[in-house]
Amino acid sequence: MQPLAELNRDAAPAPRGMIEVSGLNHAYATRQGPVQALENVALTVGQGRFTVIVGPSGCGKSSLLMMLAGLRAASAGQILCAGRPITAPDPDRVGVVFQEANLFPWLTALDNVAFPLTLRRAPKAERQARARAMLELVGLGDAATRYPHELSGGMKQRVSIARGLVQDPPVLLLDEPFAALDEQTRMAMGEELLRIWAATRKTVVFVTHSLTEAVYLADEVLVMSARPGRIIDRMPVPLPRPRSYEMMASAEFGRLRDRIWQQIKAPAR
Amino acid sequence: MLVLGRLALLAGFCALWEALPRVGLADPELLPPFSTVLATLGELLARPALLADLGTTTLELLVAVALALPLGTLLGLALGENERLARIFDPLVFFLFSIPKSIFLPLFILTMGIGFWQKVAFGVFSTLFIVLMSAAAAVRSVRPDHVFTARAFGASRAQIAWRVYLPSMLPILLEGFRLAVIFGFTAVLLAEMYASRTGMGHQIASWGENFMLQRLFAGVLLLSVVAIAMNEAIRGIEARCSHWRS
Amino acid sequence: MSPGRIRALIILAVLVLWEALPRSGLVPVLFLPPLSLTLAVLAADWPTFAAALGVTLSEVAVALVFAVGGGLLTGALVGGLAGPRRLLLPVFSSLYAVPLVVLYPVMTAWFGIGAESKIAFASVYGFFPTMLATAAGIRTIDPQLLLTARSMGATPAQRLLLVILPAAIPTVLSGLRLGGALVIVGVVVAEMLIASAGIGYLVTFARTVLDSPRVFAGVLLVLLIAIGFDLAMRWVERRCALWSTAGRPQSAPAAAVPT
Ligand SMILES: Nc1ncnc2c1ncn2[C@@H]1O[C@H](COP(=O)(O)OP(=O)(O)OP(=O)(O)O)[C@@H](O)[C@H]1O
Ligand SMILES: [Mg+2]
Repeated sequence: MQPLAELNRDAAPAPRGMIEVSGLNHAYATRQGPVQALENVALTVGQGRFTVIVGPSGCGKSSLLMMLAGLRAASAGQILCAGRPITAPDPDRVGVVFQEANLFPWLTALDNVAFPLTLRRAPKAERQARARAMLELVGLGDAATRYPHELSGGMKQRVSIARGLVQDPPVLLLDEPFAALDEQTRMAMGEELLRIWAATRKTVVFVTHSLTEAVYLADEVLVMSARPGRIIDRMPVPLPRPRSYEMMASAEFGRLRDRIWQQIKAPAR
Repeated sequence: MLVLGRLALLAGFCALWEALPRVGLADPELLPPFSTVLATLGELLARPALLADLGTTTLELLVAVALALPLGTLLGLALGENERLARIFDPLVFFLFSIPKSIFLPLFILTMGIGFWQKVAFGVFSTLFIVLMSAAAAVRSVRPDHVFTARAFGASRAQIAWRVYLPSMLPILLEGFRLAVIFGFTAVLLAEMYASRTGMGHQIASWGENFMLQRLFAGVLLLSVVAIAMNEAIRGIEARCSHWRS
Repeated sequence: MSPGRIRALIILAVLVLWEALPRSGLVPVLFLPPLSLTLAVLAADWPTFAAALGVTLSEVAVALVFAVGGGLLTGALVGGLAGPRRLLLPVFSSLYAVPLVVLYPVMTAWFGIGAESKIAFASVYGFFPTMLATAAGIRTIDPQLLLTARSMGATPAQRLLLVILPAAIPTVLSGLRLGGALVIVGVVVAEMLIASAGIGYLVTFARTVLDSPRVFAGVLLVLLIAIGFDLAMRWVERRCALWSTAGRPQSAPAAAVPT
């Protein structure tokens, strides 16, 4: 684990957060027979890059993310993170944020953030200090002692992000993290995430249904086809950073969003 | 597969019951083998006296449930629908609901003697609150937006009662009825065991006192089967009425 | 008038009627001894009641260990392992319908009329609800929480200790509350049926000699124990579940009741 001071360091060791996926196939065994969820998926995410995955519902985005997180084994193919294969959850390399915040209701915000460190039996003082720093980072320094049911949806999701970051993994995976939030909170959270990303230089893989969100956040958007999920487009987003709300009105932004839409509208009925 | 597993479990249980006394691991006096108990049960069932006892118990239960169901449902509906009544009585009812009822049995005997109606009254007392609570919970489980939707489409009051309230309430109501039947059975049997000259509970108690263990086990087996059968029957109805609930 | 006020008035009215009805001769004292008389008997005979209470409570304590220990263990196994759960849970909930009172004569035949038969009976009586509640508690844990823990590299032992157990605590505690109440009822009912000591025996003895003040005094005492236990358990539940929103939703009346 890196010391906290390194969070703000600009240059991280190059390959630490690099993700390489090749020849990934997955079929779920169901009562009706095998369901092909992913077909020959290959992708590379460079260190510190913000990659967004979009695709029609049921195309296998969550499945792909579960595999990146080591939570599910693929039928075939290879996933490398920092050059080493991912076969089981490895919180030192990959942090995960789910659609529902999935906070443990019996733990305070602080203890929820500290939970991954508890699992590693880190000393209490260190756990608390790091968790507190992460809560500060997501702007919830003063909500540390609250229980999840005392937090709003957006706050819960921030705690969840803080928890995903607490072990300082080079890679952060987010599966529709803002889908359960209202439009306003969602915009604010997007901005917040970009700020955190800029401060920590993580490699981010982000799944969303919102095309606006995709273009707004991404360095590169990966577009998946309807099931069986394949990657049908890799679209770099050349908008300058830091991104601003005004950019959404630009012609360039509209053009990028439209390019995604044209590819996913047909199959999504 | 699962059904087979359960059948195997049942067979194993019976086999164990048969084997333990036979191989000398249990005293056959204290645990008569399963086959002996079955044979005794067959003999008993051929006797008019036992059938009369079974009939008495059944009748007590039926009358108790027939009284408790409408009474409890009406009271429960009142509580569930009337905000003000609910605020006054909810804590009281909940309190009465959660205290053990069996303890009151001696009071029923003091006031009503040991006849048929005492057992019925005790049965009603033991089950009323379950029915009442489920009826109130059932009314409250009706979602206002469903009612609004029905109204928006011009449903009459009767239609709302019949097509919105009833189907929404049925699963919880039936669950309450089921519990009322099984708790009522326990109550009636207990009352008969405690002080009575008739009924299955009385028989069970006296077989126990007179150390007639073959009959005692036959009786326990019979009552267990009856109870499970009643329970499963009501559950079957429940499942048919709430298939949409998943 | 506020609902609380009206409620207080109702309770007051019940107490006043309890005193006035038998005093005025409207209800025979045999049916309903006046409240003051009942309390007076309780006070005057306190040594007898206390001795009986001691017997009953010691039986309750032992039975509680068996019922709750067995219930928690079996419930955790049945609820936690998919195979046994699918196989056994329906079996257990069918068995729940069996009127367990009829087992008491078996217990006396096996263990005599001393404390052993009461303990055995009450243990069986309290076992089922505790077990079913524990199984349900473990089963209703949000699978997403387990997935989350796994994504953070939690070992199976850590998942059990840090996720499953805390998540199951509220349900387990309410199972304990119900099981405990049933153990109390079980012991008292057993004493009422066949016994030579204990508070239930005292009540039955008083009943056979038509000494209704003593019957009411004994019943009152048992009620106080049951209610005291219930309140204490609710307090513990609240303490242990600070994190949950105003307690869990009452799982309908299916939570079952001590009959
Ligand atoms: N455990 C499972 N067993 C069988 N099939 C599954 C399982 N999980 C997912 N699937 C199937 O695999 C396909 C991809 O599912 P996945 O959840 O990855 O889609 P998704 O792109 O995340 O969808 P959404 O956008 O709706 O979240 C779907 O068709 C789904 O039905
Ligand atoms: Mg998904």
